[in-house]
Amino acid sequence: MSFAFHRPGSLDAAIAVASEHGEAARFLAGGTDLMIQINRGRAAPKHLISLAGLGLDTIGESEGEHVIGALATLDAVVTHPAFQTGLVALTQASAVVGGRQVRNIATVGGNIVNASPAADLVPVLLALEATVDLRGPAGTRSMPLDRFLVGRGRTERRPDEILTAVRFDKPPAASATWFLKAGRRKAMEISVICVAAHLVRGGKARIAIGAAAARTVRVPAAEALAEKEGAAAFREAGRIAADAVSPIDDVRASARYRKLLVATLVERALAACADRLGKDGR
Amino acid sequence: MTRQPLALTINGEIHDVMIEPHWSLLHVLRHELGLTGTKENCLEAECGVCTVLLDGKAVNSCILLAEQARGRSIVTIEGLGDPEHLHPLQAAFIEHGAVQCGYCIPGMILSAKSFLDERPGRVPSEAEVREALSGTLCRCTGYQKIVDAVIAAARQMSARPEAARRAP
Amino acid sequence: MSARPHRVAGKRLKRIDGLGKVTGKYVYASDFALPGMLFGKILRSDEAHARIVRLDVSRALALPGVRTVLTAKDIAPIRFGTAIRDRTVFAAEVVRFRGEAIAAVAATSLEIAEAAVRAIEVEYEPLPAVFDIEEALKPGAPLVHPGWSDYQALPVFDREGNVSGRSAMAGGDVEAGFAQSYRVYEHHFTTQPVHPGYTEPRTAIASWDGNGDVSVWCNTQLPFDMKNLLAEVLDLPASKVRVVVPGIGGGFGGKLRVGVEHIAAWLARRSNRPVKVMTTSEEELTDAYPRQPTVITLKTGVSEDGLLLAREARVLLDCGAYANSGPATAAIALQIVAGPYRTPNFSYESVAIYTNKGATGSFRAPAGPMGNFAVESQIDLIADDLGIDPLELRLRNVYREGDKGPAGDVLTSVSIEDSLRRAADAIGWKDRRPGPGRGKGLACSWWLTTGGSSGVYVKINPDGTVTVVSGAVELGSGAMTGAAQILAEELGVDLTDITATDVDTNLSPYDYGAQGSRTAFSVGNACIAAAKDLRRQIAELVAPIWGVAPETIRLEDKGVTSGNNRLSLAEVAALSQRTGGGLISHGTSIQPMPVFDPTRVKNHPLPAWTSHSFHTHAVDLSVDEVTGEVSINRYVVAQDVGFAINPTYIEGQIEGGVAQGIGQALSEEIVYDGGRVSNANLTDYKMPTMMDMPRVECILIEKPSVNGPYGAKGVGEPPCIQPPAAIANAIAAATGVRIQALPITAEKIALARAQDED
Repeated sequence: MSFAFHRPGSLDAAIAVASEHGEAARFLAGGTDLMIQINRGRAAPKHLISLAGLGLDTIGESEGEHVIGALATLDAVVTHPAFQTGLVALTQASAVVGGRQVRNIATVGGNIVNASPAADLVPVLLALEATVDLRGPAGTRSMPLDRFLVGRGRTERRPDEILTAVRFDKPPAASATWFLKAGRRKAMEISVICVAAHLVRGGKARIAIGAAAARTVRVPAAEALAEKEGAAAFREAGRIAADAVSPIDDVRASARYRKLLVATLVERALAACADRLGKDGR
Repeated sequence: MTRQPLALTINGEIHDVMIEPHWSLLHVLRHELGLTGTKENCLEAECGVCTVLLDGKAVNSCILLAEQARGRSIVTIEGLGDPEHLHPLQAAFIEHGAVQCGYCIPGMILSAKSFLDERPGRVPSEAEVREALSGTLCRCTGYQKIVDAVIAAARQMSARPEAARRAP
Repeated sequence: MSARPHRVAGKRLKRIDGLGKVTGKYVYASDFALPGMLFGKILRSDEAHARIVRLDVSRALALPGVRTVLTAKDIAPIRFGTAIRDRTVFAAEVVRFRGEAIAAVAATSLEIAEAAVRAIEVEYEPLPAVFDIEEALKPGAPLVHPGWSDYQALPVFDREGNVSGRSAMAGGDVEAGFAQSYRVYEHHFTTQPVHPGYTEPRTAIASWDGNGDVSVWCNTQLPFDMKNLLAEVLDLPASKVRVVVPGIGGGFGGKLRVGVEHIAAWLARRSNRPVKVMTTSEEELTDAYPRQPTVITLKTGVSEDGLLLAREARVLLDCGAYANSGPATAAIALQIVAGPYRTPNFSYESVAIYTNKGATGSFRAPAGPMGNFAVESQIDLIADDLGIDPLELRLRNVYREGDKGPAGDVLTSVSIEDSLRRAADAIGWKDRRPGPGRGKGLACSWWLTTGGSSGVYVKINPDGTVTVVSGAVELGSGAMTGAAQILAEELGVDLTDITATDVDTNLSPYDYGAQGSRTAFSVGNACIAAAKDLRRQIAELVAPIWGVAPETIRLEDKGVTSGNNRLSLAEVAALSQRTGGGLISHGTSIQPMPVFDPTRVKNHPLPAWTSHSFHTHAVDLSVDEVTGEVSINRYVVAQDVGFAINPTYIEGQIEGGVAQGIGQALSEEIVYDGGRVSNANLTDYKMPTMMDMPRVECILIEKPSVNGPYGAKGVGEPPCIQPPAAIANAIAAATGVRIQALPITAEKIALARAQDED
């Protein structure tokens, strides 16, 4: 089960190691998921390539965009000043991944590239129409997160590509986000369903749902309805979203209950966004 | 697999160890260095008994590679206070009856320290403590006296910060 | 009430083992290591019921670093078991559940041992399996133990085929009782398997010495039982086995029986090296001693004003592939389904049944939460139907002082009415449905303080300190601190003057063990006896010197006095060492068995309860109207503890027990998919976190028992009994949805509601 541990001094060096070893190599960010996969025998990399210390952990912004480095920890997102109001869903989602001991290590990039359908941060980023930046031997490329996610544990990332950052436009002032999650306990849960909503005053709604399909999904039909705003529209958007997803039965919940949760959490997340828009007078 | 040298800074002291790359920090602490105050249970970051501080922040040492601690500062329960000079958290845990079997307690105390150190001078609410410490399971106490102890320690630390500062 | 007459007992003093535990210096079994120690690992079956047709360990043995590989054919073929000798160290020929030990490896590192286990080749020929207890009872069902009739077993249990034990209690004329009833209700309840959830995995380190004696350091709750068990499976005289418990990270009944000790001992014997074996979470959730799942049918007849006239109960209990304490647990369920209620006509039957699932055990208050969930849910169902307030219905039926229990034993120190009223008052019972989606529920029960004998050696040292040597393990409850408080009280010293040693069966006096809510009670009584003997020794030593009558000698304020004469305890201890070998005594205790009516009881090992306690839980909770999510607003426990030896740690027992009960009520379940556990990890086995727990408001009632130290009653087990029922009742009050199958997940509530609306 052992592996060689690489601590490259630069991104290019990291990519070179990955190119050399192909599928036998894995990048290590926080490792909170990868280490468990290795311990459970579900992953057996021969080479682990540390991405620590390569400057990927900053959270910054330009005029029009927020940029979260892939190695920013979930705790850093929770406490980031720019994410406490209109982008509060980022905080809400990051704050419910494992315990604090995990959030102090686990990274935003890890939450994305694992491509777990239950990843909590991913619906928020999808609702914000985020873009991911990838860097590989051939240079850098970017693509919408929605395209990046392929299926359970599968993404467009090539084995020797590093997800370096995730970016999204700064939302307009009159907008709000909200994240809701259901699990059996009130902490330390892998989502049975998680929902993110992003509502912009005057006709834009984005809804993304986790743990309801093989990957986190957006529900355009529900979004279109939610854009009408109002309690009835939100309720109907929830119903449409529940019809649109295809959850599974597993040890955590039945598909039937998951659909019920989708309907409710979508409606509530939209209502919470509308409520915030109203309250903040935005 | 050949072993490689690693210098770990633990409780303010440098420990030179020879490790295999896949060893967790927990394994190195308990089995290579004999620092058994850090406990072992689920090995999947679900129970929290293996919690240590990494650069002051609580982490699960069971899923952290020892390599990931290279060049960083680690604090274990052994570095917090000894029986003659207890950290206010340790004293409060005894005082409030927060200790039963005690197996989760080193992790619980270090989680609490990480949390309180993030907000020096502030006494947290009960809800804040519960949120911050929910990554460590305790099966004996029902948590109530642990919550009480953390709040009492926070009160004492904000009134007498020097009591907490002695420890690393 | 006047001030307590005690100085030490009854006070909120700090526990005697606290410093080591907060500094990380306290040594648990899992921390223990010996030089040259090997690491053991167990190969477990991945079939639920199968014949082993090939077992080849050669590849494992060939791995560098592997010292020993053992299978059933390498060790003595000895069957062991608590009620029935139905189990062997390794499965021989047939595996009976998925996760059963087939072989074990000792190697120079855990990783090598793990690799070696993977290298063992096994081929199975599957056999028909049975996973459901009702299926297992049907004629023609696959037999889990076709050779059951050849097994040795305790004679008390009635066995046949897949039935590992059948017990019954009856009184009056139940059919006549139903005939005269105004209404008769029949309900069906099911409960799930839950794990004790101790945070320290089960661990053993075994080492053999030059005399052929074996020492095993482990975290067992019952060191003396373990010693005897190991002697049996190692085929040795018990005198050659020593069990030491350095420290134990929780037990809750899950560490009563052998875990990995026997495997460590065999591996060490064959490898000639010390061997350590420690379980993983996966092993804990597939091969440990969880609470048995049950199916309970209750039929109850009542008068128009709600008096219980007749009850019939049938408890089916799934003990898994090996009986362990299943038959005894099924028997105890009979007292629980009786409830703390007067029932003139009754007929209760329980059946423990084998299935091809993991074995089970005596998790805290065995049978308690299951039976109570059924009884107390049904009381609310009856109350609702009759239009009587559930509290009032209970008050009309609960035991009164001097009533007879189901075995005809006379009940004394009965406090159930008091606990009901005080819990109801505290929760604000008059306003039972304070708002939409919010409701209150209560549940009451009774429990015993388990008997069995205790012995302590107490030494007074020449520095005036006191050492107590007991065979009882400190599980964490603080029971040994409680016993030490009693000792300090009796000897006139402070708690801080007392130290308690670890348990070592070669050195410690016998104790029946840390189980059954008995430790502080029974060890406390032994301490009283030891102190009495020490007073006699001291009086005999000092009275002649002072020329006073021995009866005038007092122990107080760390000294010995008579009139104006005074010597410090230290001086007296030193004097005794110079003249008579020192002050040391052996105190013992045993609870007398109550008188009962044997005609009411069939096949029951514990027909009459000793030093029973009474308790009520009340909960105020809210339920999300759509998702079904339950949030507990307040939780109250009114428990009769007889005498609160240390209120802080009694509260700790209550708060912790309620947490386990809330876990069983709402979130925990070992989920079987056929014979496979589908959540064998702590990600999906969901014990309550700090966010899931409310504050627990404890009301300690002190109605003294006849037998306990200063009137104390057993405290540890009861708090986990009522949460499932109290919570089920509150959820019904909040939502109108009655869930009769544990756990009551949000999903069950939500889907039941959705169904109601359809």
